Amino acid sequence: MLKHFILLVFFLFLVFIPSAETRVYLDINAPAFVQIPIVIPKWKSVDKTPPALSEKAYEILANDLTLSGFFRVIDYHRLPIHLRDKEGIPAGVLLQEWIPAGGEILLAGETSLESNGLTLRLRFHLFDLVEQKHLVGKQYEGHLQSFRNIVHRVADEVVLQLTGDKGVHNTKIAYAVLQGESKEIFISDFDGANVKQITQNYSINLSPAWAPDGKKIAFTSYLKRNPDLYLIDLDGKNPHRFSYYPGLNVSPSWSPDGKQIALMMGMDGKSDIFLIDANGGNPKKLTRSHGNEASPSWSPDGKRIAFVSDRSGSPQIYVMAMDGSEVRRLTYEGNYNTNPSWSLKGDRIAFCGRVGGRFNIFTISNDGTGLQRLTSNSGNNESPWWSPDGRYIAFSSNRTGVSKIFIMNTNGINQRPLTQSKGGESSPSWSRRFE
Amino acid sequence: MVKKSLSLLILILCVGLIMMGCPKKTVVKEEPSVKKSEEAARLEAERAAKEGETKEARERELARVKEEEAKKEREKELEKSLVAKKTPGIEGEVFESSLLKDIHFDFDRYDIRPGDAEILKGNATLLTKYPKVKIQIEGHCDERGTVEYNLALGERRANSAKKYLISLGIASDRISAISYGKERPLDPGHNEETWAKNRRAHPVILSK
Repeated sequence: MLKHFILLVFFLFLVFIPSAETRVYLDINAPAFVQIPIVIPKWKSVDKTPPALSEKAYEILANDLTLSGFFRVIDYHRLPIHLRDKEGIPAGVLLQEWIPAGGEILLAGETSLESNGLTLRLRFHLFDLVEQKHLVGKQYEGHLQSFRNIVHRVADEVVLQLTGDKGVHNTKIAYAVLQGESKEIFISDFDGANVKQITQNYSINLSPAWAPDGKKIAFTSYLKRNPDLYLIDLDGKNPHRFSYYPGLNVSPSWSPDGKQIALMMGMDGKSDIFLIDANGGNPKKLTRSHGNEASPSWSPDGKRIAFVSDRSGSPQIYVMAMDGSEVRRLTYEGNYNTNPSWSLKGDRIAFCGRVGGRFNIFTISNDGTGLQRLTSNSGNNESPWWSPDGRYIAFSSNRTGVSKIFIMNTNGINQRPLTQSKGGESSPSWSRRFE
Repeated sequence: MVKKSLSLLILILCVGLIMMGCPKKTVVKEEPSVKKSEEAARLEAERAAKEGETKEARERELARVKEEEAKKEREKELEKSLVAKKTPGIEGEVFESSLLKDIHFDFDRYDIRPGDAEILKGNATLLTKYPKVKIQIEGHCDERGTVEYNLALGERRANSAKKYLISLGIASDRISAISYGKERPLDPGHNEETWAKNRRAHPVILSK
């Protein structure tokens, strides 16, 4: 009992002792890290800016920072009375009074809407409460219509300042939703807002993949009684069939430069990995084995492609050069490993592997070492897809009884459903950042 | 010329008969009747020939009509068994027939088992009987496993059945293959029995 007490005191001492060097806010590569407590005072509405606007901006921002997984947000509603109504950006000398709030960082801001009612400006400052100093101040503005985007830019910047990498709050995720007997393509913002149905053809629509420029989505549809590859705009307009060789045209993966697509094609009587131009021409077969090949995923440097092959007798993850040479097997554990997704940081590949009859998400280094399991005891977890900053993975999980898209941090923490929808979701694809 | 030799022949015959002492026989100068029966015989032969031809023709015609009717009956047999299938979101109307049967597969496999080979032989016989019929073979999987890998497995199953039918003599341009992976299960259940039902190659008729 005494031993525990001493240990506790020692631990607390370590946590609260101010360091002598430059403060490292967050070691995001640690297998587990302590979230930064960040206190956010009430936001100020400048001049005639409607208070509801500030309140909404606050709500989106606080949610963004919580969703990021890096912070424990101390919302102003939960502050002691004397701090609750303090809004806007405090002068330096007043930082002292924020220490009892329990945060290490203070994020203060204000919203101002121009008299024309169209231009919105968000201004914020970050303070280190432990070292009592100002860190950064920035301002973003834009059209009122882009309200959410502007708030997300603030969140991205806060994440950048405190973790060294910009956030992904201005990204979108595309996925398939089962509706009766058909599957349609949907998109959602990273925070689950703006859920939009993209296809509405009552067919089987599968495996969406964002074009690198973020302007179109490639997907497979059975509209013409063959699994053909289509392109579609983000508003669901201009669906255009561009790869329709007889047999499979599925599971597209764009090259980083957007000029080529790797996909599964069955025109030779079995599924192989092919390359086609972005307009569907010039098919080139890459895989040459007697096995079934599936699910290509391009490396961020555009030089290699990860894929699934059962040439060894069971589906496993392989890597090859983009001309089909230098084929190397990556996974050796388990007898069903599929759906590779190459991290945009280039160093790791996520995939789903079946263990004891259930699927779980794993990551592995490019050289086949360092296998890490990220999900367990939570139903079937499949189809991982990495975020553009390489710090999150979107995947599908049926842990709640229905299949839903989930997001988690790369180390497995902070697993949450993407949207509030009722389910039937699968095959997520993560977009680039929209500035 | 013929008449002269015929008369001579009869004369000789009569002489022969007298010499044989055949009392009954009377020498009859048959020349005109012979001519008549000859003519009659010829006409008879012609008539018989014509009648034979007509009879043959009629028989042929009968046979043809019978064949037509039988064909219509056969076509009706297939026709009668057809059930139109229109799937929302998938272009084109196809037909299913109880005469064209599914085959099934073992878990994770796409090879044709002996019992299923027999079923395919039956399908090939049907396709031979109706040479205008074109089919599409759908490859399906059970719900286990991931979407894309199952699309690959379904592709194999459809092509396995297609290849076997081609090996039995069906022209390859009469058969197309399509994989539905695990997207269109026949039975939405979650047990071994329904999984086995869903692992199938299902033929549909595209045109007849």
